[in-house]
Amino acid sequence: MSVVRRLGPALLAPVLAVVVALVISSAVMAALAVNPFDVFGVMLDFGETPGQQITAMVVIVNRAIPLFLSGLAVAVAFRMGLFNIGVEGQYRLATIVAAAAGAAVTLPGPLHIGFIVLVAVVVAALWAGIVAVLKVTRGVSEVISSIMMNFIALGIASYLLTGPFRGSPEGASIIATADIPESGQMPGLNGIFDLFGLANPPRQLYGFLLIAIVVGVLIAVLLNRTRFGFDLKASGMSPSAASASGVNARAMVIKTMLLSGAVAGLIGLPDLLGNTHSYTTDFTAGLGFLGIAVALLGRNKPFGIALAALLFAFLDRSLVPLQIADYPSSVVTIVQGTIVLAVVVANEIARRVARRSAAGGTAAPSGGPTAGDGSTGAVPTPPPPGSTDQRQGAQL
Amino acid sequence: MAATGVTGSSPAAGSPEGAPLAVELRGITKRFPGVVANRDIELRVRRGEVHAIVGENGAGKSTLMKTLYGMHRPDEGSILLDGREVHFRSPADAIAAGIGMVHQHFMLADNFTVLENIVLGSEPTKGGRLDLAEGRRRIRDISARYALDLDPDELVENLGVGDRQRVEIAKVLYRGATTLILDEPTAVLVPQEVDELFGNLAELKREGLTVIFISHKLDEVRKVADSITVIRRGTTVGEADPKTTTARQLAEMMVGSELPSPETRTSTVRDVVVLELRGVTVATPGGRPAVDDVDLTIREGEVLGIAGVEGNGQAELVDAIMGLRPLTAGTVLFGDQDISSWSTRDRREAGFGFIPEDRHRQGMLLEGTLWENRILGHQTRPPASKGWFIDRKASRSDTARIMKDYDVRAPGPDTLAVALSGGNQQKLIVGREMESGPRLLVAAHPTRGVDVGAQAAIWELLKDARAEGMAILLISADLDELIGLSDTLRVMLRGRLVATLDPGTCTPEQLGGHMTGAHGTAGAA
Repeated sequence: MSVVRRLGPALLAPVLAVVVALVISSAVMAALAVNPFDVFGVMLDFGETPGQQITAMVVIVNRAIPLFLSGLAVAVAFRMGLFNIGVEGQYRLATIVAAAAGAAVTLPGPLHIGFIVLVAVVVAALWAGIVAVLKVTRGVSEVISSIMMNFIALGIASYLLTGPFRGSPEGASIIATADIPESGQMPGLNGIFDLFGLANPPRQLYGFLLIAIVVGVLIAVLLNRTRFGFDLKASGMSPSAASASGVNARAMVIKTMLLSGAVAGLIGLPDLLGNTHSYTTDFTAGLGFLGIAVALLGRNKPFGIALAALLFAFLDRSLVPLQIADYPSSVVTIVQGTIVLAVVVANEIARRVARRSAAGGTAAPSGGPTAGDGSTGAVPTPPPPGSTDQRQGAQL
Repeated sequence: MAATGVTGSSPAAGSPEGAPLAVELRGITKRFPGVVANRDIELRVRRGEVHAIVGENGAGKSTLMKTLYGMHRPDEGSILLDGREVHFRSPADAIAAGIGMVHQHFMLADNFTVLENIVLGSEPTKGGRLDLAEGRRRIRDISARYALDLDPDELVENLGVGDRQRVEIAKVLYRGATTLILDEPTAVLVPQEVDELFGNLAELKREGLTVIFISHKLDEVRKVADSITVIRRGTTVGEADPKTTTARQLAEMMVGSELPSPETRTSTVRDVVVLELRGVTVATPGGRPAVDDVDLTIREGEVLGIAGVEGNGQAELVDAIMGLRPLTAGTVLFGDQDISSWSTRDRREAGFGFIPEDRHRQGMLLEGTLWENRILGHQTRPPASKGWFIDRKASRSDTARIMKDYDVRAPGPDTLAVALSGGNQQKLIVGREMESGPRLLVAAHPTRGVDVGAQAAIWELLKDARAEGMAILLISADLDELIGLSDTLRVMLRGRLVATLDPGTCTPEQLGGHMTGAHGTAGAA
């Protein structure tokens, strides 16, 4: 009961947003002369046999892993009021460099995987670090610079893929990096299906799931239980109060962006290590942008992000069945888009309600919305050194 | 926005005696969970008078004015305007009914002209297009009528504080207000500007407008008001006639008892120097240094008071001492260590306590819980943390202890800070800073916005801490507080320390003279 009471308000906004999004999407579909209930039926149809159903779920979870990591990367920055829009570029660049590095070396199993993960994390963190350095030294808005850095990252990635890192033969239809040798491939988790006596699906459940869970727990602990997390949260709520409490605003921006980037570096790895084993021209794109939506829907809390990632993965999975059933697959995009809009609106409403009830003196439940939900619009910037005071001016 | 229809040009001029009251509040009660902010408020304001509402900070004046301005609804009681009962759901309703609010903190866009600021939100249109000429005409009209002396095309950023305030007044007049609420209008003004403001108020009154003037400065109130209502602890304790009531009597009505005294007795100043500033200079982007070549020394057990009209560099000096603002020149010594390059956190850990002047900006996480606010600024030390981790359990229980010891009234450590009144927030801040046992306490306006009881408690705490050897830098706008608590008084004017006074012998009047430079003190560049 107390759990429901505690989580109730926090869950209300996202659930409401999803419902609103479904209603709006249904209206759009009806306007396109498509029966929305048929579409939802197709989306919910996981197949006839247990084998098919488990396969569908494996597909969803596999898709949710990178979405979760992406949401986490965005949320870490959101928590202190930083908008890391550059997750897309960070993970794409990290993945191709990690793929090439992983293919270039041979190490014993776990070490090889660890090496690839390390390369990806470092590359993405450094790339995100550029944004942070620009912000603290030159006052460049991280929104602008991280978007711009996306284009640069994608450009570099294409160059690397067609140039120095090219591993596929001349004239192949898909350009790819060289395959990562077996020692650098991550085994799946399908053993657990046998363990529970379930049908073992043809698809492998990514082993990276375990790493994602560990990362999620670590980030949750870091944000909620450590001094660093407190400084980060304080900076997000009030940069001026955080500074007065002794938080170094500039160092905080750099640390947070490095952390956000480091998590972003993991996004491409579930696919790379568990499935493709090389970076190709058609490597999954767009995860960084979806991560922003996932973080919003999950209210920047790791557990919420996991749920949001599963929802988005579920929507993504239905793309293929919808096409097979001859329904417009853009329905999924519409649903995702309206969810994002509805979430932004719902979060803001929830924030105001909570704030009003708190301002009225009621003890709002802990875990109420915090600033830096990312939904509050304003892009906070730490005050530049020597900024003037806000008070009405000095006389004379 | 129906208010634009009626201009301020038709106030009910010269209502005869016995006419309905312009504003009447009957039995207004406003509760917030756990706190009764207003209780049985009775207010009777006649048309065409300047009616002052006085009360200590935290007495409930702001809550009352928010009720009258439609920002929230009272739980009990009724509001009557010109004898008719009204129910405001929002400030828009109040504006439509002819009530205008001039906030203490101006809400003006710097890069707009006076004209643009005034019409913003109720723009005059002609055929769907913005009709600035009409707006300009009406503003000139208002300006001339009430002697506001405004140039509609001047940029607001070029205006001084007094001018800005007149723009705010013009803004509400433009919307057709016949009753103006002025919330602590003199807080940001220097004495000459206060006189000008009072001149403007007389003009408004002459034109038949009603002014509700909120203040806690008794001398001003007695000078400008036609009648006075005193509020204490959330309720009205009576009306007073400014012509027959002395400031002392008013003060006692406000406080309800003998006035607490901030005075300290014997000197506890020791020899050990805690903080020394040598030639400290802080530049502003504008070029003129905000803090100009300041030397000062604070010893153990000493309270060094800095007096000055706000905006003369005190805030920048505090920031420089706390490491929040880089020095352009000079050194800061803590003990015998040069700490000029230390970070704020280093200073905090070395034993700096900090009560900031603007608690919402620098002292609190409003959307954070009380225990989070308890550890703010102390998050690197027990009980807030264990190693790299935040010790939530210890933080919560220590917060509960501070709430008890410092009389912070709130449901519990998990309450959001925004739910607390300003006084309770301040008590939490004072409590957390005192509990860390600092060697140096930088206290900027430590009793601003707290009730009389809390003020006396904070004074006691500062006195005790001083007796135990804490060095205290006290910055305050309350001259009695400065004179009463300080061992040494320095006056800050235009970024410089221009005078050193003996708090044992100087009077508030003398101090005021130095603060405005009227004493012709050497050094005022």
